[in-house]
Amino acid sequence: MKKITKEDIEKIDPLKKDLGKSWIKVGMSTCGVAAGADEVYATLIEEAKKRNIEIDIRKCGCQGACSVEPLVEVNVEGLPKVLYGRVNKDVAITILERHVRNKKLLHDYIFEIN
Amino acid sequence: MKKDRLQADLEGLVKKWKSKKGNLIMILHSIENIYGYVPRDTSLKLSRLLDVPLARIYEVITFYNYFKLEPPGKHNVSVCMGTACYLRDASSLIEEVEKILHIKEGQTTKDSMFHFDVVRCLGCCGLAPVMMIDEKVYGKVKKNEVADILSKYVKEEE
Amino acid sequence: MQKKIIYLKDTDSTQQDRVNDFYTLFSNELRDTNLIEQASVVRIADMGLYEKGVAVKILPENIVYTGLKNTDVKKIIEETIKGNKVIKESLYEKKSKQMRAVLKNCGYIDPESLEDYLAAGGYKALAKVLLEMKPEQVVEELKKSGLRGRGGAGYPTWMKWNFARGMNSPEKYVICNGDEGDPGAYMDRSVLEGDPHSVLEGMIIAGYTIGSSKGYFYIRAEYPLAVERVQKAIDQAVEAGLLGNNILGSNYSFELEIRLGAGAFVCGEETALIASIEGKRGTPHPRPPYPSVKGLWEKPTIINNVETLANIPQLIFGGGAKFASIGTEKSKGTKVFALTGKVKNSGLVEVPMGITIREIIFDIGGGILNNRSIKAVQTGGPSGGVIPQEFLDTPVDYENLGKLGSIMGSGGMIAIDETDCLVDLAKFYLKFCVDESCGKCAPCRLGGYQLLHLLEKISEGKGEMEDLDKLKKISYAMQKASLCGLGQSASNPVFSTIRYFEEEYKKHIIEKKCPAGKCKALIYFKILPPKCKKCGLCFKNCPSAAILGSREAGYVIDPIKCVKCGLCFDVCKFKAVTKE
Repeated sequence: MKKITKEDIEKIDPLKKDLGKSWIKVGMSTCGVAAGADEVYATLIEEAKKRNIEIDIRKCGCQGACSVEPLVEVNVEGLPKVLYGRVNKDVAITILERHVRNKKLLHDYIFEIN
Repeated sequence: MKKDRLQADLEGLVKKWKSKKGNLIMILHSIENIYGYVPRDTSLKLSRLLDVPLARIYEVITFYNYFKLEPPGKHNVSVCMGTACYLRDASSLIEEVEKILHIKEGQTTKDSMFHFDVVRCLGCCGLAPVMMIDEKVYGKVKKNEVADILSKYVKEEE
Repeated sequence: MQKKIIYLKDTDSTQQDRVNDFYTLFSNELRDTNLIEQASVVRIADMGLYEKGVAVKILPENIVYTGLKNTDVKKIIEETIKGNKVIKESLYEKKSKQMRAVLKNCGYIDPESLEDYLAAGGYKALAKVLLEMKPEQVVEELKKSGLRGRGGAGYPTWMKWNFARGMNSPEKYVICNGDEGDPGAYMDRSVLEGDPHSVLEGMIIAGYTIGSSKGYFYIRAEYPLAVERVQKAIDQAVEAGLLGNNILGSNYSFELEIRLGAGAFVCGEETALIASIEGKRGTPHPRPPYPSVKGLWEKPTIINNVETLANIPQLIFGGGAKFASIGTEKSKGTKVFALTGKVKNSGLVEVPMGITIREIIFDIGGGILNNRSIKAVQTGGPSGGVIPQEFLDTPVDYENLGKLGSIMGSGGMIAIDETDCLVDLAKFYLKFCVDESCGKCAPCRLGGYQLLHLLEKISEGKGEMEDLDKLKKISYAMQKASLCGLGQSASNPVFSTIRYFEEEYKKHIIEKKCPAGKCKALIYFKILPPKCKKCGLCFKNCPSAAILGSREAGYVIDPIKCVKCGLCFDVCKFKAVTKE
């Protein structure tokens, strides 16, 4: 990576770098990992590939809702951004199928809507 | 054979850290990561390599909870006794582990299979009460689940 | 037109969950009115509202209705979904009690990506400082902001930096205190794991301001993920030229290194922390000289807490005045709390200073688990105190918490309910401090031990009234005579529990009873003959053969043999075993 200059820092447009239009973020801090976030992350990556679902899956830090970890935030065009809590392997697959592919929200797992 | 490796590891470590000030704790961390404890002959060699009195090294090892002088068990069982876990009855988990393994906190089972520690805050307060075996964290553990969790590790061996 | 979404949740916890009934009502109504294409209903798990009845949130308009009755469903579909009108009577205007400043990136950016941090406005403050500001100007902004140390004591940050800046020394050091020792608090860990670059940026700015070229991260070894992420962030910053020589083309050079803690609570104290970085036993030494005069390797040093440093970039970027517009007169900005204990939604919250404790526990935390009633709130960990429920409406700031006999601390906030015994809690904290006392000074080493001994005596039912005075006397002596913060504050949990809950202590001492049923020596298990079905389950399970009798004659518990494990209480299916 080349050295960053002042211009580089000023130039970056936060709006442009909105990680693409569709993304999934998995909270991967200690508490999330303890609750099984790494398994959820791996499942998402693996199943998305298997099912030919194209979506940007990334890691992020702790959102704060520790008691309902693992947390998965999903942003899909045409639907509001939502935060799912208590996600396990099965829920992760449902997120891919129902939310990402069929554009329908999941019942009973949403903890925050923006 | 093992001794040779030990010697090589140590020399590498010392080489990496020798020029830096206040390196002792960082070197001990590396030793602990390799062996799971700080063996006495390692401390002796370290004393020679760093030109630091053995007493200085032991003074540091015994001060910090993180450093151990005894080899750990095959599996390390820790029950968290941070405030959140305390309030959610972690003490019953401690009793249960002690009952099942027939050892007290800080001890290792006779077959060296399990070492048991009570620790402070594993940082997963939202999941209290928490116990950890090796690197795996178990959250919201109930007293009657402890036996099942432990037996998984015994079975693994068979 | 964008499709509307109706989010549905029963926010009451006392009644049976009515959400499925409402879900059916809404779904049927949408179907009957042929609006299925225009709107859908989703049951959600949490809305951030509590005890407000059945509630819906309608997007994209973001209308929230609460306290709904069955009859409201038709009206909502008719007026809001179809007619795009707001129903004033049911409208709930929600103000978010949380305010995310330090945590603004946590959970939103990839902590392992420098690019993400830059896109979130990262390192803009550093560029401004290095290329446009003089060190004095940075101090001036800090002074304007009123930022105080977030590690616990609340010392004004600008004063610390200014002292070190004024020292004439070729070598100075910046240390980030990431030795978060309070058991049950994890604010710093979350920041280090979720947004490490913000702390890095704060440290570089600190280094520039005081004229230092070397900084250390001191992080607990128990936080391996935090260590890994900070190391990654340092490597990225070095590669991008944000650390090293001539940062961003300026004349300023700075390097950073991680040093690990090794499990000693006392190392959160600044002079002990310095000793630990120097590779020695982490024992504190008397101040003055303060570290800003004579610190690491006897050179001027500033030590700031993780959260303090994470505040710096946004403070500089937005200006000190903007920062000072949030908070109370003497406590500015926001504070992150780790909300745990008997609260429903335990987690990390960030609130503006001046919010009440009640708002944090009930509006953000959702109230107490199992609908029990709250007894007290503990802040500040082993160095803090308890705040009884009658003071829950106190605004949170350094002064107010101090007046109540607690401290802001690093940000642990623990809800305590009626089933928790405060004598036991004081004992818990004290045991922690006794274990962690470094043993250097006598008041802490001996005083703590004696206090613990007295508390044990009380919780075993052997206490005498004069023990209360002894507790107070020793506590006072420890506060006045101990060498460092650990000893001075170790007796705070004892002091404050006696101050507010003396009655509970007296019950232990005089009546030999533990009202909360926590102190084992003071509880007794009994089998109630009318309820007992003589199934023998307790008899089989008792580990100490303290249950006598037979399936014909029934069972009794021998109080002498009973070890009070509670197993009989747990296994009895007929609630025939009582605990008192």
